[in-house]
Amino acid sequence: MIRQLLALLPRRGGAAPIVPERSVAGRTLLLLVTIMAFLSAVTLGGVVLVQKSAIAWSADVGRELTIQIRPAEGEVMESNLRTAVSLAQSTPGVASARALSIEESQALLEPWLGAGLDLSAIAIPRLVVVQLADPAEADVAQLQRNLGAINGASLDTHAAWRQQLNTMAGTVVLSGLLVLGLIGVATVLAIIFATRGAMATNREIVDVLHFIGASNKFIAGEFQGRFLSIGLQGGFLGALFAILFFLLIGMAAGSVLPSEATAQVGVLFGQFLLGWDGMAFILAVVPVIAVLTAITSRMTVRRYLSEAS
Amino acid sequence: MTREHCFLIEFSDVGLRYGNGPEILKDLTFSIEPGSFHFLTGPSGAGKTSLLRLLLLSNKPSRGKVTMFGEDVGNLDQDRLLQMRRHIGIVFQEFRLLDHLTTFENVALPLRVLGQPESEYRPNVIELLEWVGLGERMHALPTLLSGGEKQRAAIARAVIARPKVLLADEPTGNVDPDLSSRLVHLFAELNRTLGTTIILATHELPLLDRFPYPRMVLNKGELTIHD
Repeated sequence: MIRQLLALLPRRGGAAPIVPERSVAGRTLLLLVTIMAFLSAVTLGGVVLVQKSAIAWSADVGRELTIQIRPAEGEVMESNLRTAVSLAQSTPGVASARALSIEESQALLEPWLGAGLDLSAIAIPRLVVVQLADPAEADVAQLQRNLGAINGASLDTHAAWRQQLNTMAGTVVLSGLLVLGLIGVATVLAIIFATRGAMATNREIVDVLHFIGASNKFIAGEFQGRFLSIGLQGGFLGALFAILFFLLIGMAAGSVLPSEATAQVGVLFGQFLLGWDGMAFILAVVPVIAVLTAITSRMTVRRYLSEAS
Repeated sequence: MTREHCFLIEFSDVGLRYGNGPEILKDLTFSIEPGSFHFLTGPSGAGKTSLLRLLLLSNKPSRGKVTMFGEDVGNLDQDRLLQMRRHIGIVFQEFRLLDHLTTFENVALPLRVLGQPESEYRPNVIELLEWVGLGERMHALPTLLSGGEKQRAAIARAVIARPKVLLADEPTGNVDPDLSSRLVHLFAELNRTLGTTIILATHELPLLDRFPYPRMVLNKGELTIHD
């Protein structure tokens, strides 16, 4: 199947290639480039996933505010709740504000206090959920000031939580980019060694070309064409395997974990779905790897030839 | 025309040593006229291959002056050396054909290197292959050719770009005596019909006796010429 896929890739027409297409060094380099392209594509895909999830987290959390009203002596909770909802609704940039019912508030405490406990006798803090139409336009400071009139009211903008999420996501993205850079360096080094090996294997061809008057530029061009082809094939295979990897991981996460856990994992880590933009990033690995292979090998070949002559 | 331009190749007090080793070639002084045919002979280790490498511009002399095609090769940069090398064809004892290319592709290689399109060189290559008796074998890979066929393909490759000088390093070393004689006849025919200057290195003395060409005899790095 791989051969059929490779056959679809563009090839140079006309006369037979001066550097043979099938050589041990060529196959080794193809395997190497495929592995490096796969690692690059998986790392890049991971970075895209985390980045997309972080943006989604930040956007979701940033669109919501929570007003907490603690019970205070001499205060009527329901009245304070109505005032808080009213103040929130009158704040510019707020789409909606809704006080959580006593049942909803009790449900929030259930994970800590257990089910079946009658909380009606206990005065518990109550929450007002505020949805912002546009986080940038919302006058949160004004709301904060206005809430000062309500005894026991406080506003939670989730800024600390958001900042922590962003810091974590940023660290993961930076680490991914660093790994990507290191894979790039390792790829370049591996291509240099593989190219020198290929040149040594094809020494006879280099000598013959020199004897018949070929310039180093011509010889380097012949080898570069071969290496560009290997880079394209390796990059294509690596990207293909990476896309299959993400599809398999996405399917595995959906089928192995129970639906609740899947939803939680989805909230925390995204849905393992790259989307079209993620696919585009992974496919962009193909030309990058091909060009990297071609440039690295060309420079290595030119250096090898100048040393040889 | 100056005196220098009368000769294709001129060596003047040329010496060659590799690194700090002993001198392999000593005080070589000779000149080669255009269109001439010379045998280069001498015992093994006499320096024949070293002299051919000087003529092929693969090495530069340690001392003395080498003039080829009217230019002092000691003063040439890499680009000019490359251009001059394209006027020199070379045939090796071990053929040195590229095994993954067909006979046609091997012979066409120098023209491909020069950037000629296949549509342009194809008729010339086919004509030459037919002339050296390989018309029927042009699509065969070298591994399927006999020793004589390989050497004829190598000769065709060496002359396809119409070099001014053709160097042959023991071209008959890997073929039987009968074929050796036929190969030298082929070189002679090239010399006669195309006017290519030929220097053919061999240590097969019986072969030399069959042809009336001058002999450059190397012995312990010293050269004498017998007309």
